[in-house]
Amino acid sequence: MTVDMSAQIGGLRLRGPVLAASGTFGYGTEVPLLERRALGGIVSKGIFLRPREGTPPPRIVETPSGMLNAIGLQGPGVEALLREYTPKWAEWDFPVLVNINGETAAEYGELAARLDGVPGVAGFEINISCPNVEQGGLYFGNDPHAAAAVTESVRKRTNLPVWVKLTPMVGDIGVIARAVESAGADALCAINTFVGMSIDLNAYKPRLSFRTGGLSGPAIRPLAVHLAHQTARAVRIPVIGVGGIRRADDALEFLVAGCSAVQVGTATFVNPRAIAEVHDGIAAHLHAKGFSSLAELPRYLPRD
Amino acid sequence: MFVLTMRAPQVAATVRAGQFVNLGWAPGPLLRRPFSVYRALDEDIEIVLKAVGSGTAALLAMEMGDRVSCLGPLGRGFDLARAGTVVLVSGGLGVAPMPIAARDARAAGLRVTWVHGARTAEELCGEADGDEVVWATDDGSRGVRGTAVAAAPDADVVLACGPNRMLAAVAERWPDAQVAVETYMGCGTGVCLGCTVPLKRGGYDRACKEGPVFRARDIDWAALPSHLPYAVTA
Repeated sequence: MTVDMSAQIGGLRLRGPVLAASGTFGYGTEVPLLERRALGGIVSKGIFLRPREGTPPPRIVETPSGMLNAIGLQGPGVEALLREYTPKWAEWDFPVLVNINGETAAEYGELAARLDGVPGVAGFEINISCPNVEQGGLYFGNDPHAAAAVTESVRKRTNLPVWVKLTPMVGDIGVIARAVESAGADALCAINTFVGMSIDLNAYKPRLSFRTGGLSGPAIRPLAVHLAHQTARAVRIPVIGVGGIRRADDALEFLVAGCSAVQVGTATFVNPRAIAEVHDGIAAHLHAKGFSSLAELPRYLPRD
Repeated sequence: MFVLTMRAPQVAATVRAGQFVNLGWAPGPLLRRPFSVYRALDEDIEIVLKAVGSGTAALLAMEMGDRVSCLGPLGRGFDLARAGTVVLVSGGLGVAPMPIAARDARAAGLRVTWVHGARTAEELCGEADGDEVVWATDDGSRGVRGTAVAAAPDADVVLACGPNRMLAAVAERWPDAQVAVETYMGCGTGVCLGCTVPLKRGGYDRACKEGPVFRARDIDWAALPSHLPYAVTA
């Protein structure tokens, strides 16, 4: 018996529910694509309109069961992306979504317009964890109006699927989730990294040059499952669970908590086969429990 | 300083001087840890390490038959496509890439001088290879008193590995030297951008892809942190 692992995410049909999370898989071209049959899709490294250098080192530090990163969205800019990567994506048999970033809502829209209709671009994941220069550096993702404005700016410029990656650094993730759903998002990714800090006790200063970084890895998983669940309860559009997934059971927690798909990130750094192992483990679980498709997996999703 | 041997036939067969492997082990840290390949013997490779935390302690406590996950060989190694003389300058654990460098340099027909530096005689690696070997210690307890950089002769090709402060001194004396840098590393395969090295011309290169061997003059040494020990994790 084979299990139907396909997942329908807001207009996009994925052959499997496990995607590579943004910033942990580059542009998909850096390492040999092992077992691509198990790859539901890739979300590209975050891109801006213009090239960005990123932050000075040290950029990463390991913490208990996790890691902090402050890469600073280093990237080549959209024109280089179009030259070097999208032609390759167009030849692949799985979707690549572009993680898009900006300093103003208009920049997000401009980026979406530049990439809309380009072969190889299957959709967008909006990173709303960027500082909004028009609002004095407040993060788009912390304010429902700013988050909605960014989503709307992108929505107006493309008919491709638009996903919004939510930040956990908010009081009520449901408020942000509903705001971006109303603004036209097709799906939500919950969640981005938590802001954290680690101190070097020899130098008496932060270990990261940027002072703070985004915490990822198994350390955040229960927090992420909860926030993904809260998000799924708040909206009708699909939710993609992200945060500390290493194994199939971790992914299944997100799926049962109300998610339609998952993204694997930090685990890929450690285990190049992590995505395939998660995919195969989910299929094995479904098979063992007698389900013939992912859609049959029971969801625990009481509505508010 | 300890030497750990592991069976890794594919790595042993193809590794070039200056390349590294990214190792994962359990119980151990979440992220893999990069190690220069110290020697390659038939089907085995060796790495050198010091006990710096609970992770390396677990690695050193391993017994015959235990397994580690080994990703590699990774990165760009030394370029030895030149004739003449080569000097290998190593400080402390910077000996790591040198035995293979000596092997490959000799195979390329170069005359090899290896300059070992450390703070004290106790911290010097006992292993030496090359047509000429020079020892240098900060306290004069073995060989020349002073740094390996000061003790080294000039040569057609200079290869160096050691603390980043030492490599900055290498860059002052030999801007064309090839240096293997040490950085924090996440994936080791070019995707996380966590191991970047600041460049003189601006921007960054990845130690795991464009490096870990760089041309000394290309690096912005003032902006490259000195090596920090990894944070020890639970």
